[in-house]
Amino acid sequence: MFLTSCSSIKPLEVLNLEIKREPLKLEDPKIADFEDLEWYIINSENAEDVFSKLKEKKIDPVIFGLTDEGYEALSKNFAQIRHYIQQQKLILDKYREYYEDVKKPVDK
Amino acid sequence: MLGIFSGAKMIFIGVILTAVVGGFLYVKGLQKDLAVAKENMIKMEQAISDQKKVIEQQKIDFEAIIRANKELVEQQNKLTEEYKSLDKKFNKINASGKKRDLGALAIKKPRPIEKIINKGSDHATRCVRVAMGEPITEEEKNATKKSQINPICPDLVNPSYVPY
Repeated sequence: MFLTSCSSIKPLEVLNLEIKREPLKLEDPKIADFEDLEWYIINSENAEDVFSKLKEKKIDPVIFGLTDEGYEALSKNFAQIRHYIQQQKLILDKYREYYEDVKKPVDK
Repeated sequence: MLGIFSGAKMIFIGVILTAVVGGFLYVKGLQKDLAVAKENMIKMEQAISDQKKVIEQQKIDFEAIIRANKELVEQQNKLTEEYKSLDKKFNKINASGKKRDLGALAIKKPRPIEKIINKGSDHATRCVRVAMGEPITEEEKNATKKSQINPICPDLVNPSYVPY
């Protein structure tokens, strides 16, 4: 009688509790609406001609200039900014794909 | 005499009864243990099955991580190449072995260079818009010739273009 009342096997308890987080679902920012810009090339020979054309178009005859090397640097800087945007976008897409199971559009 | 026998009989019956009741309770206990053990077995099998699912999901996750990293590296390599080609555009070596000098060209032919710069600026702006997520047009998508593509970022804007 004593032996029967002290069993060594105890019931096993397994707890499974899964609560999914609410997805963040933030919208992409709006695509920038760039304004048109126009480049003017001025050298010692055509400067007067360029300024008179600006006057004709009722544009202030003043130029904010860059040298050829400055233009090259600006182009490269612009490319680097774009590359950064592309990389950030890909990282964001991959995070969404991984955590929210949202595939990016195929035709991209 | 009879009293002694009667007492021994009572003790004997008592022992038998105790043994029977004890045996019955022992078997009952064993049956209960068996039922618990069975239940535990089912729970353990379920736990093993759940663990297998977790391991499977982890495998899928690792593969997804590796794939995402691979894509990032590929993009990085493409962008590095693109940057190098931009550098080449500015410093291209011409047929006479001299480095392209945009300044000298602009002194010589300001109007054509102005047009090229403005077109290049439009292309660069378009590249940024697409990088931000603007969809590409059908025309851009189907462009295969050099004259049709965006020379600043063909990988991004002209997926059908194969450099030649």
